Amino acid sequence: MDAAPFISMRGVRKAFAGKPVLAGLDLQAGRGEVLFVVGTSGVGKSVTIKHLVGLLRVDAGEIWFDGRRIDDLPEHEMSAIRRRVAMVFQSATLFDSMTLAENVALPLRKHGRLRAAAALAEARRRLDEVYLGDLADRFPAEVSDGVRKRAAIARALTLEPEVVLLDEPTTGLDPINARRIDRLIRELADRRGVTAIVVSHDLNSIFSIADRIALLYQGTVRACGTPGEIRASADPVVVQFIHGHATGPMETPGF
Amino acid sequence: MTIGRRTLIRIGARTLAAGTAALDLISVAIQTIVGSLWSYWRGKRPKGAIARQMYFVGNRSLLFVLVTLGFVGMVMVYQTCLLTTKIIDGRNQVGAQWARLLVLDVGPSLTAMMLATRVGAGIAAEVGSMKVTEQLDALRMSGVTPVRYLIVPRFLACIVMSVALSMFGMAASWGAGGLTGYYSFQINPRIFFDLSLVQPSHVAVGIMKAVAFGAAIPIVSGFCGLRAQGSSEGVGAAATAAVIGSSFAVLILDVLISFVAMVALGAGM
Repeated sequence: MDAAPFISMRGVRKAFAGKPVLAGLDLQAGRGEVLFVVGTSGVGKSVTIKHLVGLLRVDAGEIWFDGRRIDDLPEHEMSAIRRRVAMVFQSATLFDSMTLAENVALPLRKHGRLRAAAALAEARRRLDEVYLGDLADRFPAEVSDGVRKRAAIARALTLEPEVVLLDEPTTGLDPINARRIDRLIRELADRRGVTAIVVSHDLNSIFSIADRIALLYQGTVRACGTPGEIRASADPVVVQFIHGHATGPMETPGF
Repeated sequence: MTIGRRTLIRIGARTLAAGTAALDLISVAIQTIVGSLWSYWRGKRPKGAIARQMYFVGNRSLLFVLVTLGFVGMVMVYQTCLLTTKIIDGRNQVGAQWARLLVLDVGPSLTAMMLATRVGAGIAAEVGSMKVTEQLDALRMSGVTPVRYLIVPRFLACIVMSVALSMFGMAASWGAGGLTGYYSFQINPRIFFDLSLVQPSHVAVGIMKAVAFGAAIPIVSGFCGLRAQGSSEGVGAAATAAVIGSSFAVLILDVLISFVAMVALGAGM
């Protein structure tokens, strides 16, 4: 793993309707690293990773990717970044009106500039790789959550990105499918040097495949370190989160 | 903080929000028009998207428009005949005047109001549900501009179908009016179906209105969908806002085009 900060967020601030969500967040990820961003619901984990691909814009602070500042890039220039940084959304977000193959083919046509027939053929090959070849012509509504999630991951990987952002990739999956997705993320980092930034609540995933874990709390990174370091942390907030205690010092919205 | 200061801050925040929304709407309109004129006609359109939308906007709305405008024609002709026979027997003029009014104003505007409710709500609900389920973000990640992909095909389909449906609607309304005139007031169909008062300039203004209304509905509704927030409640609010906004846009455009036409063609238009 390369220790140089391939991706860096510096003092990022973001508020929605005057309510601050990120309050000077600093976060780095190296090449080929599997970084888990964890925290309670509503703490701003998804908001954090959406900033990395320009789906949200910072109110203040800087974002750097591979030595280039990207937070101030206009929308049309973000396209080049999105070709290198893929994202798998929380609810899989396949397009309802397209088959699985057409979903996977879309980035190939738009970013990869392939013609429709060539993109579809390539999409089928990619679906075969994740054992979904037989379901290529099904619509998202006709398949299970696990299949949708795997197809969404296949779509994210079509352009062979250098970074994959995964928003709760194992939420709603059975334990077997969840561990398969964990293995896939680990293999991407180990074999292809892909950087994976994973938002998750799944403690099994977090402690089995993460290189580093960043705990978000009140708009900043409360603790960041290897799984061993996080486990050994004496910070009561970290302890409460990793042991899942209902009571403790953590302030959680709505409770 | 004093009440006056708080009120001032609230008014300021709302004004700012309204200004931002207006700029966003203009931005969506510009992106839609530019997308239609340039990249779209260079062959970068999704295969069959316009045809699909034309079917949805046109074929699926045809019965709704025909029935509504047919009934409006019956009611208007009946009431007008009733009034004219009481004051002065001018019922022989009703058919020709109704044709002029239909072409110039009632046909395109009533058709557009029907489209604003049926198509506008549909567009806002579809785009809005894609927004709240992050499908729009996924589109952007796939290198697709949501406005170009979702609103441009609807924009082009709506323009074509607004003109076509207005024509069918006018025919239904005029026909239903003619039947009402014949059965209720014994107006000879040869006298009722008289196009002598319809000038080519009236047809031009009518088509201009249908095009403008057809363009405004998907832009306003798409804009409402793009601003949807939260969950199903946000999608519902977007659909409601789309119907209100599109109807309002139709009325404003109607007044503006009528005013411009009156200035250009004279008060006797």
